Amino acid sequence: MPLIDVQSLHFTVPTGHIIQKTKTILHDVSFSVEQGTSTAYLGTNGAGKTSTFRILCGLVKPNAGQVFFDSEVMHQGLPPKRFGFMPEHPYFYKNLTPRELLTSLGKLSGLPSKGLKQKIEMWAEKLDFTQVLGQRLSTCSKGQAQRVGLAQALIHQPDFILLDEPLSGLDPIGRACVRSVIQDEVRRGATLLFSSHILSDAEAMCDQVVILQEGCIRYAGDIHSLLAHDARWLIQAQGKPLWGQQAGQHTDVEITASLDGVWQIRGANQEVRNTWLQNILSSESTTLVSVQSEQRTLESAFLNLLKIKGDHDASHS
Amino acid sequence: MQAILEIAKLSFADAIRNKVAYGVFTFLLLLLATASALASVTMGRTELMIMDLGLGGISILGNLMAIILTIQSLQQERESRTLYVLITRLQGRWKYLVGKFLGLAAVLSIQMIMMCLILSGCIAIFGHIFWLSFVQACITTLFEIYIVIAIALLFAQSSSLFLAILLTLAMDIAGRFTFVIQQLGEQSDSTLVQFFTQGMYYLLPNLEAINLRNQAGYVANIPWHELISMMTYSISEIVFILLISAFIFGRKNLA
Repeated sequence: MPLIDVQSLHFTVPTGHIIQKTKTILHDVSFSVEQGTSTAYLGTNGAGKTSTFRILCGLVKPNAGQVFFDSEVMHQGLPPKRFGFMPEHPYFYKNLTPRELLTSLGKLSGLPSKGLKQKIEMWAEKLDFTQVLGQRLSTCSKGQAQRVGLAQALIHQPDFILLDEPLSGLDPIGRACVRSVIQDEVRRGATLLFSSHILSDAEAMCDQVVILQEGCIRYAGDIHSLLAHDARWLIQAQGKPLWGQQAGQHTDVEITASLDGVWQIRGANQEVRNTWLQNILSSESTTLVSVQSEQRTLESAFLNLLKIKGDHDASHS
Repeated sequence: MQAILEIAKLSFADAIRNKVAYGVFTFLLLLLATASALASVTMGRTELMIMDLGLGGISILGNLMAIILTIQSLQQERESRTLYVLITRLQGRWKYLVGKFLGLAAVLSIQMIMMCLILSGCIAIFGHIFWLSFVQACITTLFEIYIVIAIALLFAQSSSLFLAILLTLAMDIAGRFTFVIQQLGEQSDSTLVQFFTQGMYYLLPNLEAINLRNQAGYVANIPWHELISMMTYSISEIVFILLISAFIFGRKNLA
């Protein structure tokens, strides 16, 4: 049963100064987030990720469409005590300390004063910002402010966690720490929806993916299906290159030769792979070296899906 | 109520540490020193001249502080995205505005009380202090500042930094000349002008109606029931402005 059900969101913003025009940010966006799952909300810059999050939070109103939370339609954003939100690059009140900020935000989320101090210390320890707990936020680094931002979203242990770029601005150790904390929350039973441009981290954290391009959903579903759909095969063979004629028949096949005389044939279609294998095995002048399946990464699948040119063909075996 | 108080506490804690407030304080001390120096070389009641100049200075500085602190605070919360984190925790955006108003009003109250205490000390050095008229003038100045905070909140949440400062200043100044606007209408033969000026007279907060600084200069105090009616008027103005702010803010896209 989905915890979040987004139906046909349409959102435009006014542009222009003298002559008012509108720009469509989201066009008929529909997806759902199952309870207890971790969903990555991906897209290029300006695809509409942050706008979707702001609609979910009730910060902006869509022109059309509805958001259901636990089967109930939401008119003013999600129920405050049941969800935690971290905006992109938060840096909060410069004159306050993380402890003061988290105390107030914890109380605003309905936490009792008793035990709040211990809770703040626990989150500071988990997210590794204990050393700056009593310092003004203006003295905190971007990464530390990011961790405080995550702590405020998780402090009341909400059912639904909405994180806009939780890993940006963090060093590799920080990213690993934040990733582990978020995964712990999902294991606890929380439902997670997050956006990220660091696709390797997103791949490690999510089990569902929603990919957005120019305000339209391009993919919504299981990450394994996406990667399996995009899986490729690699045949390595040695000998006389007899397949020139055959290659012409399959334009989606890529043939490269290495210096040691080993030919590499790459493709996606499984039937084509079988034809190639039959031909190589039946040929006397060619020897089969290996057959491998290449698991695509989320990054290569993302780039491939959005047809973005780049070095995404460099995949990992 | 708990949510409003938490927002108020956050706003208070942030604003009380704002460096702008300290800068203005230094300016007040300089102003009082200048007023004392000027008054000592003039003929007549030195202490009344210091009170007159001091109360005027406190009012101007208080108004400026109210405008700067309120608009800066809201703009910073929007830029730092703290606003999003707060709003998503509230059932009703109006609570944010009320909390913000209370927090800033508390900060400015403390600063105003401190400024008035410094001024009373200055007056006491040069002569006798007429407490009743002085306290009454201080109380109404404080209420005038609360109205300015409400006006600044109205414009800060609905326009850009520069425009918000400009509009608040314009309304603050116009609020001191509402009687002139009314007189203009009375002198005109046009019904349209009369309707417009009358409308402006009732729509704009009448800041001059709660100004007791001139009376304080003449050691003229007013009956307490009049002071209470001035305070009631101020509170209704604040509630009215906050209601408009809440109406706009509740429908605004916070992008």
